[in-house]
Amino acid sequence: MKALLIDDERLARNELRRLLVAFTQIEIVGEASTAKQARELIGSLRPELVFLDVQMPGETGLELLESLEPPAPRVIFTTAYDEFAVKAFELNALDYLLKPVDPARLATALARLDERPAGASVSAPTGRLANEDKVFVREGERCWFVEVKTIRLLESEGNYTRVHFADAQPQLFRSLNAMEERLDPKFFFRANRRQIINLAWVDKIEPWFSGGLLVHLKGGAKIELSRR
Amino acid sequence: MIHATPMPPPDDEARRERAKMRLYVLCQTAGWGLFLLVQLVISMSLSASRAKHDGLTTAAIIVMMVTLGLLLTHYFRPFICRWAWRDLGWRALLPRVLLAAVALAAAWNSITFVYGYGLLREEWDNKFSPWLIFGINWVNLSILMLGWFSCYFIYHLFDRFNRSEIERLRLMAAVKDSELRALKSQVNPHFIFNALNSLRALIDEDPARARLAVTQLANLLRYSLQSSQLETVPFEDELKVVNDYLALEQVRHEERLCLRLDVAPETRHLPVPPMLLQTLVENAVKYGISLRPEGGEIAIIARNEAGFLRLQVTNPGSLPSISIAVPPMAAVPREASTGLGLRNAGERLRLLFGERATLELRALSPAVVVAEALIPLRPAAA
Repeated sequence: MKALLIDDERLARNELRRLLVAFTQIEIVGEASTAKQARELIGSLRPELVFLDVQMPGETGLELLESLEPPAPRVIFTTAYDEFAVKAFELNALDYLLKPVDPARLATALARLDERPAGASVSAPTGRLANEDKVFVREGERCWFVEVKTIRLLESEGNYTRVHFADAQPQLFRSLNAMEERLDPKFFFRANRRQIINLAWVDKIEPWFSGGLLVHLKGGAKIELSRR
Repeated sequence: MIHATPMPPPDDEARRERAKMRLYVLCQTAGWGLFLLVQLVISMSLSASRAKHDGLTTAAIIVMMVTLGLLLTHYFRPFICRWAWRDLGWRALLPRVLLAAVALAAAWNSITFVYGYGLLREEWDNKFSPWLIFGINWVNLSILMLGWFSCYFIYHLFDRFNRSEIERLRLMAAVKDSELRALKSQVNPHFIFNALNSLRALIDEDPARARLAVTQLANLLRYSLQSSQLETVPFEDELKVVNDYLALEQVRHEERLCLRLDVAPETRHLPVPPMLLQTLVENAVKYGISLRPEGGEIAIIARNEAGFLRLQVTNPGSLPSISIAVPPMAAVPREASTGLGLRNAGERLRLLFGERATLELRALSPAVVVAEALIPLRPAAA
């Protein structure tokens, strides 16, 4: 598995590299010391796994993830002592390692990766998002890797998009039009100027005023279909 | 997190009040009941020998008198509360209690007389003058009232003692708690764990440097644990530890952290509050180095001038007020410290050296921030 190490400290990267020697399935393809450098390397090297330091000068690890074109790579966060981040991770069951990293804990994190279906996040960023791909969203202290198929509804809010899934609806730093280009038209349907719905989540459809339709989504939302 | 001063929970207070009320009712009934019983027994044995009055009239007088005593004391109690007699000292309380006892006894006695000799037409025993009988009774009843007041105030004395003891214990716990928290805040955990992480990498890469770093970390931890018990330390002790700290930060940040020391030799023995320079430097590293990809230079300048020790710590950067606004959604919950460490340090400085001591943060130039502490060489007269 191709992995990229992102940490502002050279010694911290070296330490992680040394720890990863024991895990032959991991091939370290590069290192980055800043978010900017990391963004370039993720674009060119297409790593399947990223070890990401949360606290970095300039742009933090979470800001970096947010700025990446979906799908999000698989990420294992690393942090020395950051109560906020750790709380956010635990809340959303994201994997994180505390520095100095315990080798046994690292092994667990890597084993957990293997259980998940591989290959999903290798798709080229220009192509369409697969159902199993994940999108990284953050709101305040909470962050999620949202599986595309669990998204019920996307709503335009200016330059941002509100993403509805499970019981949360955080904002994504992308316009609805940009998202539409990336979503698979087999599943995602532009209901009107402001909304895209996931057809897999449609509960029932009823006729509406002036020849329009009203779509009921599982989970309660009602969406008006514009006549096109 | 908000730390309120430890107060008893409201329902605890209410429970205490209810318990006190129960105790009061119990004492009043038991005390006056006992008094009634004794009076009845005495009067019965007397009337048995003398057979002067009919027993029923005497009993009626006694019951009425005791009831009156109970009512008088019961209705006087709210006035004790209203006039806050419980909080008075002995000297103020004693004349008030004497006066109250005599006054209450006068009322008590008068009503008993009117009731006994007026309403019940008790026969007048004219062996003594009525005024003498009245006077003797008055004195007796006054003593009785004084007894009641003694019981009342002795109970409250103990209650107050208990309360102040509880308060004292609460306060002690609060002080300990805040001391502990202050102690914790002195060693930044983020720094410790990052240092340990770099150290582990260093063990293979540069064992000699790793050994040195362990010593430096030990020095820093020991100092920050011990120095909190001291009011001041010689500046050179503090400087030594700050150097250890910066050496550890240099292991982490490598070429991103440059250091310039400009310390006048005559400042080395001057007293400074422990962890003051450390706080300033830690702040400078955090805002001048850790958050900036390009890093920069940190300078420590110490001068002895015009009766003051002038400590300056500079770092690259600009003050928060000038910093560009971040879009609201991108607000990062970074480490929750916005000048809190500096404010605490300033507070400590003023407590130790008086109002002439100052600590301020200002822009030295558009790209350099300086934290400056002015410490008077002669401490404020205690």
